[in-house]
Amino acid sequence: MSAEAAEEPGEAVTTRGTIGVELGRRPLFYAVLAPFWAWLLVRWAYDWVVEPGTNVTAREPFFPTEPFVAAGETLRGVAAGAPAPVGGVLDWLAGGFDFVAFGLEALPQLAAGAWVTVVLTVVSILAGLVLAVPLSVARVYGTRAVRYPALAVTELVRGTPLLAQLFVLYFGLGLTKYVREVPGVGVGVLPDTAVVVGLIGFTVNSAAYQSEYIRSALLSVESGQLTAGRAIGLSKVAAIRHVVLPQGLRFAIPGWSNELIYLIKYSSLASFITVRELFFRAEAIGNETYLFVEVYSVAALFYLALVVSASAFMSYVESRVAIPGLGTTGR
Amino acid sequence: MSLLEFEDVHQSYGDEEVLRGISFGMDRSDVEVVIGPSGSGKSTMLRCVNRLTDIDSGTIYLDGEPVTTPETDVNDLRRRVGMVFQDFNLFAHRTALGNVTLGLREVLDYSKEEARAEATSQLERVGLADQADSYPAELSGGQKQRVGIARALAMDPELMLFDEPTSALDPELIGEVLRVMRDLAEEGMTMLCVTHEMGFARSAASTISFLDEGRVVERGPPEQLFEAPEHERTGEFLERLTSLHGGQQG
Ligand SMILES: Nc1ncnc2c1ncn2[C@@H]1O[C@H](COP(=O)(O)OP(=O)(O)O)[C@@H](O)[C@H]1O
Ligand SMILES: [Mg+2]
Repeated sequence: MSAEAAEEPGEAVTTRGTIGVELGRRPLFYAVLAPFWAWLLVRWAYDWVVEPGTNVTAREPFFPTEPFVAAGETLRGVAAGAPAPVGGVLDWLAGGFDFVAFGLEALPQLAAGAWVTVVLTVVSILAGLVLAVPLSVARVYGTRAVRYPALAVTELVRGTPLLAQLFVLYFGLGLTKYVREVPGVGVGVLPDTAVVVGLIGFTVNSAAYQSEYIRSALLSVESGQLTAGRAIGLSKVAAIRHVVLPQGLRFAIPGWSNELIYLIKYSSLASFITVRELFFRAEAIGNETYLFVEVYSVAALFYLALVVSASAFMSYVESRVAIPGLGTTGR
Repeated sequence: MSLLEFEDVHQSYGDEEVLRGISFGMDRSDVEVVIGPSGSGKSTMLRCVNRLTDIDSGTIYLDGEPVTTPETDVNDLRRRVGMVFQDFNLFAHRTALGNVTLGLREVLDYSKEEARAEATSQLERVGLADQADSYPAELSGGQKQRVGIARALAMDPELMLFDEPTSALDPELIGEVLRVMRDLAEEGMTMLCVTHEMGFARSAASTISFLDEGRVVERGPPEQLFEAPEHERTGEFLERLTSLHGGQQG
């Protein structure tokens, strides 16, 4: 949105993002993503019917692999009889068909893993946000007594490797023992023990990073805003809540998008504590078929689709909550 | 009894004593204009009234009660004392109406409908009912400042503080803000205004104080300060101001 547009009253409404505007802006992009999500959602629903929860058992593929296998074999047959350069190309093409057939076979497993990846990411970023807001407010506006503990937690979490944190939670503290005792864990649609430990780890980790993003966003809210809030008689807490946070959280959205994207990818570390997410399932298929390059390539496409979707979603959110003159839309 | 009374108020930032014994009183419906060079302590003086700054010694009374004691409920004090800022400080994420409703909702506990109705009438009072849904970035400086005034008025204050409300405005926008201030004065609002708009001071002020280096050097009705200042400094300063900011009558 241009600076001039922000000056026009009434413009505010039209510049608010709508799905329609987004679609119109990047049609090709959505032409690729839409079928992916349509398939993925149907896939999840289909597998869930048998066994709801995070430990989804993948059922048979939707798309038949035989035509691709057959095409590959036929091509290879032709290639054998063809002169060297042509044969090479045909062989290579046949490999492509094999890859597609293999990919189609692997899709249900990977979709089941992607479900866990999405659950880990979405729950952790939201729960992390809930923790990050008070952490960052404590850092910026707190008295010493809350500022330093908040700083200590943030630095401890950001200063140590995520994988180490997961190991400490899972093996070191043996969190599984306690989590297993919690009623509801692993029952029905609720995530099982390892997933819960993963959620705890990612939530805490993400809270620390998000609190840093939010902290610097809060610092970029003009100090006069808080003063003006106090001057009409709002308590400090009320002024922070109603004046500073609504602005600061908007400034934090770009950082927040970053965090979401990191989290999608870092959630693969949960495979080390036996969470059967996307990377875990890809590795399992690799171990079974020895087609590591192939299966990791397909998994990478999954991650790419998730990341691209997340960033599109976040720019939609950003335009949706945009206010003329505030943050990225004006100034 | 004075509505607002300063009694030997001192205030320092570190080693720098910014207010060096301020004493004066204003009655209900008085309009006190404070003038003085930059850095003389004018803003600090206003901020002490609603406790945005705490004083070192002395006492400030509002309606006879000391408000500079540790027991004072500062949020209630601030509710009773409206403040208008030089750079507006409108809540950037809220519309003009939203700026006015926030205090009504969160401080005075109005219902949504009550707050909306009250805020609309406050915007009407400053001539901005038609801009209720505009965001601050969509308003001109003069409109912003009028929203700032409406926001303060909505809290039904006993006293209004103005800290150079027009000095961030383009010259052609100053008049609309002064007009609102003049209307307020005529309605009987008690106003403590830091302003260098001499036209306004001459016609609307009941008293003018000249502040220099943290002291009230001279204080009196406008005629006295303009026509026969006791101190040479006052005369010089007023002359300079009048040549700079004399034009706007509001
Ligand atoms: N928050 C503060 N911290 C330190 N010094 C300040 C602060 N606010 C104002 N001062 C100093 O106090 C003096 C008076 O400031 P101020 O009341 O803003 O004067 P005026 O409004 O008359 O220009 C100035 O020298 C200024 O630098
Ligand atoms: Mg000042």
